[in-house]
Amino acid sequence: MNRRIFLLGVTGALAGCTRTSERRLNVYNWENYIAASTIPDFEREFRCTVRYATYGSAEELLAKVFSGNSGWDVVFPSNSFVQPMRELDLLLTLDHQQLPNLKNLDARFQRPEWDPHLAVCVPYMHSATGILYAKAVTPTPLAWADLWTDSYSRRVTMLDDPAEMFAACLKRLGASVNSTDESQLKAARDLAIKQKPLLRAYLNEEVRDQVVAGDVLVAQMWAQVGQVAIDNAHGLAFAFPQEGFPLYADNSVILRESKHQELAYSFINYLLRPEVAAKIAEEMRTATANGAARALLPSAQRDNTVLYPTAEVLARGEWFKALPGVAQRLRDRYWTEIKSS
Amino acid sequence: MKRFLPAYACAAYLFLYLPLLALGVFSFNSSKIAVWHGFTLDWYSSVFHNAALMEGTLNSLIIALVATAAATVIGTLAAYALWQKRSSWLTGSLYLSLLSPEIVTGVSLLVFFQWVFHFLKLQLGMHTVILAHISFSLAYVVIVVLARLQTFDRSLEEAAADLGATSWQTFRHVTAPLLLPGIVAAALLCFTVSFDDYVITSLVAGVNSETLPMIIYAMARKGVSPEVNALSVMITVGLGSLVLISGRLESKR
Amino acid sequence: MKLRTIFLAPGAVIMLSLFFLPLLVVLAYSFLSRGPYGGVLLPWSAESYTRIFDSLYLAILWRSVWIAAVATGICLALAFPLALYIARAGERKTLLLNLVMLPFWTSFLIRTYAWMFLLRDTGLINTALQSLHVIREPLPLLFNTGAVILGLVYGYLPFMVLPLYATLEKLEPALLDAAADLGASPLVTVWRVVVPLSRPGMIAGCLLVFIPCLGAYLTPDLMGGGKTVMIGNLVQNQFTTARDWPFGAAISLLLMGLVLLVMRALGDKGEELL
Repeated sequence: MNRRIFLLGVTGALAGCTRTSERRLNVYNWENYIAASTIPDFEREFRCTVRYATYGSAEELLAKVFSGNSGWDVVFPSNSFVQPMRELDLLLTLDHQQLPNLKNLDARFQRPEWDPHLAVCVPYMHSATGILYAKAVTPTPLAWADLWTDSYSRRVTMLDDPAEMFAACLKRLGASVNSTDESQLKAARDLAIKQKPLLRAYLNEEVRDQVVAGDVLVAQMWAQVGQVAIDNAHGLAFAFPQEGFPLYADNSVILRESKHQELAYSFINYLLRPEVAAKIAEEMRTATANGAARALLPSAQRDNTVLYPTAEVLARGEWFKALPGVAQRLRDRYWTEIKSS
Repeated sequence: MKRFLPAYACAAYLFLYLPLLALGVFSFNSSKIAVWHGFTLDWYSSVFHNAALMEGTLNSLIIALVATAAATVIGTLAAYALWQKRSSWLTGSLYLSLLSPEIVTGVSLLVFFQWVFHFLKLQLGMHTVILAHISFSLAYVVIVVLARLQTFDRSLEEAAADLGATSWQTFRHVTAPLLLPGIVAAALLCFTVSFDDYVITSLVAGVNSETLPMIIYAMARKGVSPEVNALSVMITVGLGSLVLISGRLESKR
Repeated sequence: MKLRTIFLAPGAVIMLSLFFLPLLVVLAYSFLSRGPYGGVLLPWSAESYTRIFDSLYLAILWRSVWIAAVATGICLALAFPLALYIARAGERKTLLLNLVMLPFWTSFLIRTYAWMFLLRDTGLINTALQSLHVIREPLPLLFNTGAVILGLVYGYLPFMVLPLYATLEKLEPALLDAAADLGASPLVTVWRVVVPLSRPGMIAGCLLVFIPCLGAYLTPDLMGGGKTVMIGNLVQNQFTTARDWPFGAAISLLLMGLVLLVMRALGDKGEELL
């Protein structure tokens, strides 16, 4: 009997240890979105501890914070998730007084489509989806349609993400990436099923190392990740497909449940500092939404067209949007059909 | 036939150990690809320098130790009670718990915790993981201890009762000490299962309860990683030694 | 209060609160409606269940059963000779048995990862074969159904060996001698004497392998490259990407129901052994 009480006590004590302490911030972010020194510098300057964890997909994030009781303070949803999170009352309305560094944002992100007044979010990093490929392959994949070919001997992968898969198929059909039209989605589904036998696998970021190693020749990939691959291997290139491609931006938000709002504001403001944002962008090779930071980057990176596409290329891009429930269900069902075909 | 079986057994053992051996050999490879380049211990040292990995290991150890301690105690007592007199609903539910797919257990616990948290204002964290581990390890403990009890000689207990011992004294001084090897085996099984669990843990873990399997899964999905090789070898050797040592101790008795 | 009740209480409380109660909540959720971004809402509805009877999901169900059955069958075929060998190995029995169980004691995840290391295009097997000039292009050994079955067989082989060994060990050598005396060749002896007598062990082993394979999630995910969808993956998908909790709950219960069915069908014989 005594042993059991002791054990219960230990469990309780351990649970107590995990309770949040005074100056503590819990940040949940994508992988590769922070430089090695960013967090330690922040902890030093603001005299606090930061618990920093990462996730690999926006759905993973939503699943975790959905309960409104997750323990996270600052998270980084993609733009198409901001509206849903807002509707679920998960986000804190931002007080711009506490974010003086907002002015550093690039003009393109001062009034973004998904939150024109920056009421709940602050754009952080942005990119697009395109095709990462080995320069030696023939034919050179410059359009989505080129991924429906047998010439790559099945060393092709697509992203394990329904939104991205549909985006590629819909663009190939000449439709919008956010289409809710049933006939278009059906056609997109059929295209995807036709492509499946030609694919190696559905993989996300993890395929980057396989492309670098030469396992995979062509991959549907996010531009930022593609750039890292290009840096790590010879003979890789990135293409923004002719038919058009989806754009996305990851934004920092403060969760309404947060018990450390002051620190959260400090953190977001800190990330908006030009030097800080520039350091992250430079070290992790990501594309920052911070205009002042971009100006500080070395010209090779500032003018890198994979990370910061030209206006002409951007014109073919289309932002992802949150979709109404009915369309979402249809897509989910078609995605299951594709995956299990 | 006489020659077939041994040859077959050799092949079977090779099949069982080939992947682990390959991992082991290549964890010393100085190149990242599957071609031998040179001997190095770098990957092992980089594992120790990986803070996230170390924290995950610590979390896994804490969870496994607490869950094992609780499940072993509760399970042993329950097994003893079941041995005295069967309870078909409890035994049946333990078997069901043992055989139910991890994804279902994980999902049901997640859903349950979220529902409870509506009323209790708590969050997912170490405590939910520990509770989850206790719940699925219980069946393992009961089965192992019960199996051991089946070989137990009831007349010893009866003799103690005849000499005037209460049920508690009988258990504490007669049965339990003789049961110890079984209890230890159950605890070991429990520890291994808990330390290794991925599916259930990933669903009910919270902000500060990333475990080692969760980190390994993330690294494994990324693909090529000699660090994972080195880590795997260390875990395999560690757990394997635990098993061998406990086996030795048991045979010594 | 009797000692027995006190001893039973904590275990019973844990099973009730952490096993049955969660399943009840899942049951309740399966009859609710889907929230727009996850979670559940009123009104009550049985829609999730009617949706299951759609050819898409039934196909996934069938595929899971098929893959699990094939994996179990292969496991049985591979484990039987091995168990027979160990059972007749004399003093080295325990050592040999421990050697079979040892991989089980290590991480399932790591063992799966180890196979990925061997099978991928730039993995050990392909690199070796290519350097020996047996093949020119790497073989697609990973990311297909075959790889999934291999992963399942490898992961659960010890579970098949153990019960088989337990039964085979109890086999009377005299029976085998009698068969030999009657003129039966070793193969015939095995087929017509040993196999039927080891039925309980075979059934227990199949139970211990088929059910986890049915609900497998990790192996099809990692070894199948996201292209093989089994029930386990479908459930996980509903709670993450698809955010359709009621449907996920319904499928989970369906899976549990299948497990119960298999347990009932095979379980009585197997329980004795367990």
